[in-house]
Amino acid sequence: MHIVFWLSFAFVFYVYLGYPVVLLVWRRIAPRPVKKEYWEPAVTLVIAAHNERQNLEAKLTNCIALGYPKSKLQIIVSLDGPTDGSEFVVWKYVSHGVEVVHSREHTGKAAALNRALRRATGDIVVFADVRQMLSQNAIRELVANFADETVGAVSGELLLMDESRQEAKSEVGLYWRYEKALRSMESEVHSVVGATGAIYAIRRELYEDLPQDTILDDVLTPLRIVLRGKRTVFEPESKAYDSVACCPLAEYRRKVRTLCGNYQLVASLPQAISPWRNPIFIQFISHKLGRLVVPWALLALFITNLFMLRGIYAVTFSLQAVWYAFAVIGHFLSRREVTAPMVITTGSKRAA
Amino acid sequence: MKRLFLLPYTFALMNVAAVAGLFYFVTRKKDVWLKSKSSHVHKR
Repeated sequence: MHIVFWLSFAFVFYVYLGYPVVLLVWRRIAPRPVKKEYWEPAVTLVIAAHNERQNLEAKLTNCIALGYPKSKLQIIVSLDGPTDGSEFVVWKYVSHGVEVVHSREHTGKAAALNRALRRATGDIVVFADVRQMLSQNAIRELVANFADETVGAVSGELLLMDESRQEAKSEVGLYWRYEKALRSMESEVHSVVGATGAIYAIRRELYEDLPQDTILDDVLTPLRIVLRGKRTVFEPESKAYDSVACCPLAEYRRKVRTLCGNYQLVASLPQAISPWRNPIFIQFISHKLGRLVVPWALLALFITNLFMLRGIYAVTFSLQAVWYAFAVIGHFLSRREVTAPMVITTGSKRAA
Repeated sequence: MKRLFLLPYTFALMNVAAVAGLFYFVTRKKDVWLKSKSSHVHKR
């Protein structure tokens, strides 16, 4: 009982606090800086969309105004069986050089990306979601990292903004900032475990078709690239802007999908959990798999503590009980304060 | 002050999400296969 308790405690502690400390030390001992250089290779920007009529106009206006030579930027919108008239919005931008890959059948994002990649001609492919606006220099900053031959993929930074157009300081915002700090440190020692779906880029030659049911294309593609011996790095100067989830419950839904995707990832890419084949095995186990195991460790921590209530264990049980009681109160407080989502326009000072 | 309660709540919720994610993966629930409208591109 004691062993299970302390092992569970050590595991939870390592995943959330120990691992960041390991990364802090690791990047001091063995940093691997990227040799960035500003250059202008041919780039293809791929946007997959299903029913996004409301967001496409702002997105495309944002994309054609990006600070990258137009002659070297191919923009492809891959429409995946839209039924809301999204195609009519995209067609308005064809005169601005936007290309459309239109599938009448709704086959999912992975299939839409695969179709777009068959049309892509750029040496570098940038993937972006429809909803988030990109910073003016987003592509230039991503591309600069590819001057380093060891880099195969680059993730941009997603900023979650609050109503005051500042980076969110809510609990969800803090959680995301913690995640980004981890990614930044992982990038400094080798590679991040997955990219930000809102904006990331790869060398086109490294793209492999995604299975149609892929949930996390932004994790699977970069991880495949790492398994092929290249790095996936984090570029904080390439920014995408989104509004922070109104409440933890909204973030919860997104998280269920992401974590389900992690299970799918392990099932479809077993070499990711092989220390001999995955160069970022420690990061993958600590960051991705650790998060999947933590809830079970927390459960073990609580149950074993129930049977040991003397001495130090009385204190640990009290702390756990207070923590979960606060969580229950937090649940009711959270339900009371659902704020309206913020709209970020292309004209926003931060997005410019 | 509110953060004192919302932080444990968010942490607990994220861990419940990991269990729910496993449930969806094992049972192959299709509603999680494609992205939710609020944060992503696709919806089935």
